[in-house]
Amino acid sequence: MPNFFPRWANWFPLQLLVCVLVAGAPVTLGVWYYFTPKYTRVGYQPDQPVPFSHALHVKQLGMDCRYCHSFVEVAGHSNLPATQTCINCHGEGKILPDSPRLAPVRESWKTGLPIPWVQIHRLPDYAYFNHAVHVNRGVSCYSCHGAVNEMSVVYEAESLSMKWCLDCHRSPENFLRPPSEIFNMSWHPPSPSEQREMGMKFREEWKVNPPVSCGGCHR
Amino acid sequence: MKRILPHPPRDAKPRLWRTLEEREDSPAFRESLGREFPHGAAGRDGGEDGLSRRDFVRLMGAAAALAGGLTGCRRPEAHLVPFAKSAEWTIPGKFLYYASSMPSPVGAVPLIVTTSDGRPTKLEGNPLHPVSNGSTDAFAQASLLDLYDPNRSKEIRHDSVTVDRAALDSLLAGIRSSAAGNGGEGLAILVGRDHSPTINRLHADLARQFPKMLWIADEAISLRDAEAAYTEAMGAGFKPIHDFGKADVVLALGSDFLNPSASGLGYSGDFIKRRQPSGTMNRLYAVENHFSLTGGMADHRLRVRASEIGDFTAALAGVIGGKTGNTPLKTLASAFPAGSETFDQAWRWINGVADDLIASRGRSIVIAGPQQPAAVHLLALGINDALGNLGETVLGARTVGNPGPSLSGLCDAIKAGAVKTLLILGNNPVYTAPPALDFPNLLASVPETLHLGLFEDETSKVCHWHVPGAHYLERWGDARTFDGTVCPVQPVILPLWNGISAVEILAQLSGEKVDGPSAVRATFGGFSRDNSEEAWQSFLRNGFAPGTAWPLSKPAFNQAAALTALQAVKPRGSGDGDFELVFLRSSSVDDGRFANNSWLQETPDFVTKLTWDNAALISPADARMLGVQDGDFVKITAGSRFLEIPVLIAPGHADRSVSIALGYGRKGVSHVMEHVGFDAYPLRDSTLCFRNSVGVVRSPRTPYSFARTQEHQNMEGRDIAREGTLGQFRKQPSFASDMDGELPDPVSIYPNPPLRGDLQWGMSVDLNSCIGCNACLLACQAENNIPVVGKDQIRRGRDMAWIRIDRWFASADHREENLEMLPMAVMCQQCENAPCEAVCPANATVHSEEGLNLMAYNRCIGTRYCANNCPWKVRRFNWFDYNERPLDELYFGPLAPKGMADSLKMSKNPNVTVRMRGVMEKCTFCIQRIEEAKIGRSVAAGASDVEKTPLPAFKTACQQACPSESIVFGNISDPGSAVSKAKADARTYSSLKYLNTKPRVTYMARIRNPNPAMPGADCVGAANRREGHAADHS
Repeated sequence: MPNFFPRWANWFPLQLLVCVLVAGAPVTLGVWYYFTPKYTRVGYQPDQPVPFSHALHVKQLGMDCRYCHSFVEVAGHSNLPATQTCINCHGEGKILPDSPRLAPVRESWKTGLPIPWVQIHRLPDYAYFNHAVHVNRGVSCYSCHGAVNEMSVVYEAESLSMKWCLDCHRSPENFLRPPSEIFNMSWHPPSPSEQREMGMKFREEWKVNPPVSCGGCHR
Repeated sequence: MKRILPHPPRDAKPRLWRTLEEREDSPAFRESLGREFPHGAAGRDGGEDGLSRRDFVRLMGAAAALAGGLTGCRRPEAHLVPFAKSAEWTIPGKFLYYASSMPSPVGAVPLIVTTSDGRPTKLEGNPLHPVSNGSTDAFAQASLLDLYDPNRSKEIRHDSVTVDRAALDSLLAGIRSSAAGNGGEGLAILVGRDHSPTINRLHADLARQFPKMLWIADEAISLRDAEAAYTEAMGAGFKPIHDFGKADVVLALGSDFLNPSASGLGYSGDFIKRRQPSGTMNRLYAVENHFSLTGGMADHRLRVRASEIGDFTAALAGVIGGKTGNTPLKTLASAFPAGSETFDQAWRWINGVADDLIASRGRSIVIAGPQQPAAVHLLALGINDALGNLGETVLGARTVGNPGPSLSGLCDAIKAGAVKTLLILGNNPVYTAPPALDFPNLLASVPETLHLGLFEDETSKVCHWHVPGAHYLERWGDARTFDGTVCPVQPVILPLWNGISAVEILAQLSGEKVDGPSAVRATFGGFSRDNSEEAWQSFLRNGFAPGTAWPLSKPAFNQAAALTALQAVKPRGSGDGDFELVFLRSSSVDDGRFANNSWLQETPDFVTKLTWDNAALISPADARMLGVQDGDFVKITAGSRFLEIPVLIAPGHADRSVSIALGYGRKGVSHVMEHVGFDAYPLRDSTLCFRNSVGVVRSPRTPYSFARTQEHQNMEGRDIAREGTLGQFRKQPSFASDMDGELPDPVSIYPNPPLRGDLQWGMSVDLNSCIGCNACLLACQAENNIPVVGKDQIRRGRDMAWIRIDRWFASADHREENLEMLPMAVMCQQCENAPCEAVCPANATVHSEEGLNLMAYNRCIGTRYCANNCPWKVRRFNWFDYNERPLDELYFGPLAPKGMADSLKMSKNPNVTVRMRGVMEKCTFCIQRIEEAKIGRSVAAGASDVEKTPLPAFKTACQQACPSESIVFGNISDPGSAVSKAKADARTYSSLKYLNTKPRVTYMARIRNPNPAMPGADCVGAANRREGHAADHS
């Protein structure tokens, strides 16, 4: 029986394998890194219709988060303020009544149409996050939203991926704070070991058992 | 190693069966048992199972095309839109509750409306209201979908041209000014009978202003005959109110009083409270032509043709009169014209019932169905009078009085040319009127006609004007519950499509200015003892005005008047060779008003388990005689009209009798109603529930394929549903769990999950109180965003309802006479050793620390292994994008247009994921409510021990809706909880216990209370009795 295949064909499968591995490795690594929420989400900083500065309002003026996000302690959603809330201070005859940057606010107040704020922190529809239960049980705004008081334009500080959620749900002691410091964005634990010690104490006293089974967040 | 399960042995002929094929145990049935879905269900086009090579290539091509579409991965910009001005009471993401009620001719259903960001998303019963006690019926649950129905009419039309509101205003102003000139001559108004005090007030006001106006209040399924009987014997406006909480013996004569939808939620709760095996246990006798829910609950049931219920009642009255020496009753009984000698074989039955009723004098009730002829009502009243029940268990209420002329009165007036302007507010008489009235042609002859309705229906097509009606969740109004208590009807959303209410139109006619609740507020002073603003606010807040129920009194039975009325009854036509035709109030579409409601269309009928259709129900004996099988057509000839309709063989049906549900077969209104059922209205000759002398012959048409949820998910008669007699229960309280016998050592191949949570969830379902009314099923559908799949998918066994209500038939001696019915709600049993979890390759279904069998939809990859491994077959698979595709476009390719109507999006519960194609789903004990309660507890605890904080009270959707409180849910680790107490009851058993899956749902066996003197008493409560066991009853 004649040889149909030339001799070099014996090496062909091995050559093919090496090529696939060499070409495939960067693709795999690329997907591994660039397709994660840590890469795709963190740092998302869209332009807002009104250039509202948290740095100015919170850090310089010392306003509490709950002046605007008023229902965060009672509801699952942390509400955005109604235009009315802005007008409380920026209404006619008050602070900066004619500023061109506040034109959308005045427009909304006049027409009754909402200001279309651009959403930054967004969970998938099948994940049900509840703000009230977190802020009432020792989790600070800071833990998920970062140092908002330093941001003149808000960006996404954490990945909000499921693994990131579970890091805290599995060991909440690393993040639990004294109840008085929940809305204090400048408070930081003295040291990681002291944080853990304090967290363990809160965890045991308050019986903090965050759900780690699917039903806690997915319904 | 394959595990051998100790399945219980099969009886040669099963005692407990759901289908006739199962009882006959045919080879085809055996073959079907081995399949998860009926033949062809898995195939793409219903032919061969599996994919052909061409299909495979086609699908792969589509997949490749989709993969190419994965370019351009920029994050889409989403907006958050807060209010410009804060709305009072509104907290984004929190529910807001309003008290309201659903008006209905049988009695309003008091409701609490859950609104989520301004949209009503769920209806619950009003727990403050004594009639509801927190429960609802199936119709109330499903009425939410009607609000969002994209097929609702949206525009005012005049002769098919869209006009604006100003045109309607000028029309009404014109009618008013001309009526003011001639005293309302030529003006006629047709309304339904929702018992709204405001409509009654406006009627009185209009009648005062326009004395010659014609006012007709009527319904398609009317109660006129009963009312005539009561007017005769008890005075005008009499309405009997039964106190089942005091009755030990109940006889239902063609009455389905246990069906909450037929009695305005009235009686099931009280009846069940008196039916506790460990306390007082009543006894129920039912005489009916087809199985109703009441017949299913009955201890003794007699199959009697609907037209012979009068003969039965007369015979019973005669026997009771004789035994008690009550001559007036005997006279009354003998005045009834004797029909046939049908009751020869039933004399023992009649004697037994009579003795039992006499023994419980003053503590018994004889209740006649609302559509029974006047004679039956008169005789039933006579029997109640003779037994001393009047004033004890049968009380009388005085309603508004004379109902006025009926639809036939309107037809006479039109024929006489006395109607120039006709306003039809809500009714649909062109579809429902008996053909003898010739209503459509008469209507067309009226010069000016207006129709107000939710849909552009049959009647609006004939009328000059059509006005879109406001749904009851969009308008102000008021309504009376079955006992007369007034409830508010509050708008919880602005009219979606500019709907207008009947109150607005009537007020405009009477010259009253309507501004929001003003018309209802003006009426409030009339019925409420306190007219202060405070009382009005509490009326709106609590959902009813206390003390407005019709005052009850001891009824005085006018023997002489009843006798005169009975003597006027014409003898029933003989013609025994012929069939009778019985018209049923549909369990899905009522009288046709819910025909566009796909939730209800897909809800299986209580007994036949038929969806998306009605059928001619006939007895197995008649089917043999006619030579027909399920789906074969018969031609039903009634007078000059005929109907070709497929038959469904209904076990327990009376012979020589055909039953057809009304409200189906509507055409040209919307696509949902097309090709759904057959219209039986044209066969009616009166408002009675039956007509005689109807011919039934086999028709040669190609057999029809029904969509029934019945044959799927069969359980092979392994004592899933258990029942016993009261004697058996007293002798051996734990008889139900003893049926499991000696089980081998519990060995489980599944790892026991650690159940560490401080809360452990469990449920108990009491089969003794479960009526089988579908309320839980629809509550679950509304709460959990369960999609509708359509008739074609149901035929393939792909129904999605998370709760299915198994309806078992049992007959201990295989005779039709001794048939029993046993409903059983089956939802996910939340097994502790769950077989589904072990086979999931994606960990999409896992156990929680609190004993819940969780389902993470976003993890599910759709292998369906879990459904295969589920012993209860309670898992449901999304074979298609049922939410995103119209039901007739399910099979379109992946690039076909998708999307849900905007209004339907608004109906979804925001706390439950809307599932997509390829995902398995099932009951998780309303986990959204569990989590909501746990979060509420944690928020309340704050910086303190959460386990010492009380959990906010909550119920699962099915538990909340149940009118007989047969579902109990709660924390089983707390021995004081209601569910722990229910599970500790002696009647509790686990279904399929020998599988050792440790289900968290347990059942409580049904107890029957047979009367040993009755024929067939040893066959009662014998569903689980094995061959060779001695009859065991007391």
